[in-house]
Amino acid sequence: MLRVELTTQLMRLRTLIALGFLAAVPVLAGLSFAPEAGHRNGTQTGLFGASPYSALNHTMASLEFIGPLLLPVIVCLLATVIASADRDWGLLRYLYVAPVTRARLLTAKLAAVAIATALALGCVLAAGFVTGLALFGWHPFHRIGSPNLSTGDAIARALAASGYTLLCMLSIAAIAFTLGVLLPRGAEALAAAVAFVVAASILNGQSALHAVAVALPVHYWQNWVGLFEPGPAGGLGTGALVQLATVALCTAVSLAVLHRRDPAA
Amino acid sequence: MSAPAAPTATIRVDGLSKRYGRQQAVDRLTFAAGTGQICALLGPNGAGKTSTMRMLVGLSTPDSGTAHIAGEPVSLGAAVLRRVGVLIDGPAFVPHLNGTDNLKLLWAAARRTWPPPGLRDALDLAGLGAAIDRKVKGYSMGMKQRLMLAQALMRLPDVLILDEPANGLDPAEIRALREHLAALAKAGATVLISSHQLAEVQQVATHIVVMNRGRRVSSGPLADVLAANPAHRSLEDAYLAMTDGRHQPTDAMTEGHRDAAR
Repeated sequence: MLRVELTTQLMRLRTLIALGFLAAVPVLAGLSFAPEAGHRNGTQTGLFGASPYSALNHTMASLEFIGPLLLPVIVCLLATVIASADRDWGLLRYLYVAPVTRARLLTAKLAAVAIATALALGCVLAAGFVTGLALFGWHPFHRIGSPNLSTGDAIARALAASGYTLLCMLSIAAIAFTLGVLLPRGAEALAAAVAFVVAASILNGQSALHAVAVALPVHYWQNWVGLFEPGPAGGLGTGALVQLATVALCTAVSLAVLHRRDPAA
Repeated sequence: MSAPAAPTATIRVDGLSKRYGRQQAVDRLTFAAGTGQICALLGPNGAGKTSTMRMLVGLSTPDSGTAHIAGEPVSLGAAVLRRVGVLIDGPAFVPHLNGTDNLKLLWAAARRTWPPPGLRDALDLAGLGAAIDRKVKGYSMGMKQRLMLAQALMRLPDVLILDEPANGLDPAEIRALREHLAALAKAGATVLISSHQLAEVQQVATHIVVMNRGRRVSSGPLADVLAANPAHRSLEDAYLAMTDGRHQPTDAMTEGHRDAAR
């Protein structure tokens, strides 16, 4: 069933376009920074300011730029399609009579969502790294106003940041997947998931609504940036727990909906 | 009518009921179909034919009653469905895949190795030619219907459950389908079809179950149903008499079911 899900969803033209779009952003950003290779990016600070210093700098800056909105929107697209496309096409009834059990169907879909999410993140990282390598070269990880990171330390932190972001994207994928299972049409689920990302991001930006924001997975998505700043990175453990709790809750809801809903209803 | 369920019947429905909101779609329906039978499930729109078929293949959970195929209770994704070819609620495919890839997908979904045993005959019946390698989104309704029939037939099923199989087919294709179904039944398969094309049903069916407003109003061997009232010259006459409320249900016809299922 996993192969069925991957064949029907990941090899679609729209999926490839979406992934290509994700990859295009680091490439275009790299090209715009190319004249400043080896120098600070204007007056920018943090990862954006250090982007033209090395391949790894550009990779992490790309992730910081795409992570809050574009990446989760694409992940929502992939997850809602995996959750709902076979029902939208009417194919679900023929999968059930193939026969495929509910448990097997859900397992395959969740695995496909995880693979698609990892693929979307991988596109950003790979495009950022290859572009950075071609335009800025392989140099020590530069930090503005702080000592450079050694190669080993930078790679370890980059892997930790990527893993954390993957977990964050899995949480929004789980939300989008659940909406895809709950709502009657995939388009409705996608709209609801994207609306959630946008609304949560706006809420997260309002200091007066901090008490609400801390309950949202979106609140913790950029915590990994602290890994590349002086001093200890804060909030990663809490962020990881919130994402894991979101994934677990959404998986349970999806399972309950699939088990209770009559496929012919 | 009393329950005619035969214990050895390939398809057995006992007291099946299903309600959608206030609508009683199926009401205590009981019938059976045995090996070698082509049983037609007839009735006006809204009579409960498709609801019955959905419950028979596990797509819908009955409020009460049971559905068995080959002696096994049917539920969603039940293993016994590997022996069943299904066409229900019209054709459905992945639109951006070609015909062959769609067949492979539905075959592989149940962890089976390609190709299926009846692929060649099924594709001959579908008659799609080179179009089998074109994306399904470019298919006509008739082509989709034929591909879906190929999907149901390619697994050489012991049981076929086909909801309006002749939809979108031209007369030559309908004849080819009729001959295919007859050959399958002769080889020991049990076929349950729903259809509004009564002249066609009369040519292919050995048995019928007539429903109206969710209830069975008649069932049994087609010949017995027609013979029950000499005034009925055709299945259409008998059917119209049964479904406009003037027909009196009879149990005499259910004997044929028992005979066939033995």
